[in-house]
Amino acid sequence: MARTRRTDTDELPEAEAIRLAQQGNAPAFERLYRLHNRRVYSLCLRMVGNTAEAEDLTQEAFLQLFRKIATFRGESAFSTWLHRLAVNVVLMKLRKKSGTETSLDEMTEPDEESGGPRRDFGTPDLRLSGSIDRVNLQRAVEQLPPGYKAVFVLHDVQGYEHNEIAEIMQCSIGNSKSQLHKARMRLRELLHEAMRDKAREDRKAASAESGSED
Amino acid sequence: MATIACKEFTDRLDSWMGGDLPSDAQAHLRNCRNCRSLIEDLKAICTEASSWRAEEIEVPLRIWASLQSHLEQEGLIHENRPADAAKTIWFGGWLAALPRPALAGAYLTLLIAGAFALSRPINKQTNEARWLAASEDSTLPLRAQLTAEQDSFASFNNANPAVAASLNKNLAIVDNYIALCEKSVQEEPQNEVARDYLYEAYQQKADLLAQMTERGENNR
Amino acid sequence: MSTTHFVRKQFIWTASWKPMAVIVPSLLFCSMLSADPQPPRRQEQHFKVEAHPVVTIHNPNGLITVKAWTKAEVMVISNRASDNVEVDAEQMGNRVDVSTHAASDNVAPDDMRADYQINVPEDAELQIHNDSGEVNVANVLGDMNVETVAAAVDLEDSAGYVTIKTVGGSFQCTRCAGKLEISSISGNLRLTDIHSYRVHAQTSTGNILFSGEFLPNGIYRLKNYSGVIEVRFSPADSFDLSATSLKGKVINEASLTPKSHQQHFYSRFGNSLFGTFNAGRAKVELTSFDGTINILKRD
Repeated sequence: MARTRRTDTDELPEAEAIRLAQQGNAPAFERLYRLHNRRVYSLCLRMVGNTAEAEDLTQEAFLQLFRKIATFRGESAFSTWLHRLAVNVVLMKLRKKSGTETSLDEMTEPDEESGGPRRDFGTPDLRLSGSIDRVNLQRAVEQLPPGYKAVFVLHDVQGYEHNEIAEIMQCSIGNSKSQLHKARMRLRELLHEAMRDKAREDRKAASAESGSED
Repeated sequence: MATIACKEFTDRLDSWMGGDLPSDAQAHLRNCRNCRSLIEDLKAICTEASSWRAEEIEVPLRIWASLQSHLEQEGLIHENRPADAAKTIWFGGWLAALPRPALAGAYLTLLIAGAFALSRPINKQTNEARWLAASEDSTLPLRAQLTAEQDSFASFNNANPAVAASLNKNLAIVDNYIALCEKSVQEEPQNEVARDYLYEAYQQKADLLAQMTERGENNR
Repeated sequence: MSTTHFVRKQFIWTASWKPMAVIVPSLLFCSMLSADPQPPRRQEQHFKVEAHPVVTIHNPNGLITVKAWTKAEVMVISNRASDNVEVDAEQMGNRVDVSTHAASDNVAPDDMRADYQINVPEDAELQIHNDSGEVNVANVLGDMNVETVAAAVDLEDSAGYVTIKTVGGSFQCTRCAGKLEISSISGNLRLTDIHSYRVHAQTSTGNILFSGEFLPNGIYRLKNYSGVIEVRFSPADSFDLSATSLKGKVINEASLTPKSHQQHFYSRFGNSLFGTFNAGRAKVELTSFDGTINILKRD
């Protein structure tokens, strides 16, 4: 298929590209794709963690978008609409795949005892700052339930504001903030667990060598 | 100076995010090592995550290439759209707009491509034989593709026997329906109603194959 | 008790209870383990929601019943067939997602089942995927999308934009308003007491029965390949009718005024009937390949 690349479409403003795309204009589609593909792809990649699925999901999100583009009437920002589609596509995929991690027990708040942050008594010196790296945070993010993962990736990784996230996830700004907080708290727990596991292993290795104890 | 307890601090933490801590919360933080540690942990998580933003992510080129071919095959990219094609694409669009994995979309677009070729309005003056030949050509690769896919489902097995039975039975129904419609279209090439039925049958078949693929993937 | 006093107590508690704190939770944990390791088969959850919540259900097999109630709450009661499946109900803002999934590989078909009883506010939007079993929805006025393979779908008193897709499952709809779009391959479609302004119903080998009002400016398209399409009308109805069966019969009891203007292009093929009943305010299109189309008086 011949691609007639007209230089003026490279600078086509988004609103114009949408209007032309609604009439089936091919370069307009490509312009819209180029404007948004990086953000959509990186969102998908961060959510699913591998490039093969991220490609599939990105393609599916844009395909759905382009099929429905005739119905876009500008009630919300185009990019918000696209990201809502993309997030839905990803969440549906994640929910189909989700294993035993998201049991009902995890969703309900455990009883708060009158005390400090739960789960940490006994290890007040276990501080995360300085010991979080890309790998262990990525691993922890992968273990988050889909809903938490979406808000965390959108806000902390992709840099969306809560009002944008509220539109994308169709929730209130308050919900977005509280889900983000819960996501970060859960990540903190997961990172602490990982740290404790590692510390235990290091101790085992050390005592195997020297026989000394912590 | 009023201050608060850890529980209240952590309960209200999410509402303070992104802004300044009120004075009672700040007072608590000064005295509470655990809560200080909590705040620092959350900050560290947030900082690490936002450092990923600067990462150069290469979007694979094949995504656009594949998208473009889908869009062309679905007739979404066209300068001039024939009037009745709009009607047929409406129905196809409705089916296709229901969420499906990209693989499923591929089946559907293949079929719509062939169907689209069949539904173009024909002028009575034009060569009927030429039209017949064209429609046969366009459906032949389609049928071959579908048969190949179908063979891979010959032993379609699903964890749920009621579902497997229903999908297999209905696939047979649709195949029969396609055969009858094809026969009808060949006997009366100008019968647009028969052609409508034929490509709707292709759409149903594509959708069924897509559903079987989805369930096959999930059961592997 | 002043807050400062309370805070100091906390600090002391944290420091001196350290050793105990390590032991006590672990004892509790052990006793919890021996008590009841598996969540009960029947579980009930409540989610507070605001106006127009979205409720999605993904289930492989089972009976799903959704009813409307007056509380601003979504209640999910699930009953798992075995411990090899898990149900997952998660709230995200004004959206509740319910799903069933296998807890391990190779779950037996009989185990892969959960039944749900869900109560929602009447303006809820529903998205339901249930491959086999049954789906029953009553009094929900929001939009809905239901997809099944073999499960039968029964809808009562709906008012929104309803899209239904089944492979072999039958569909029954009573006292439904709004817009209906139904597609099936071999399912029978039965629409009674309908007050919708737009109905698009299609099945290949199933039968279609339609009995309801033809609202002014409403559009009613019923299509199948083979089988029977039956439409019942009353003397007060007003519609413009096109009925075509390529190879089957069209039987009509309505006294139609034939159209004086240009004939529909379909009339060149098969057995067709075109005409206006009373003022022709609604539009009714019935199409079959080789099935029978019956247009009968409602009794």
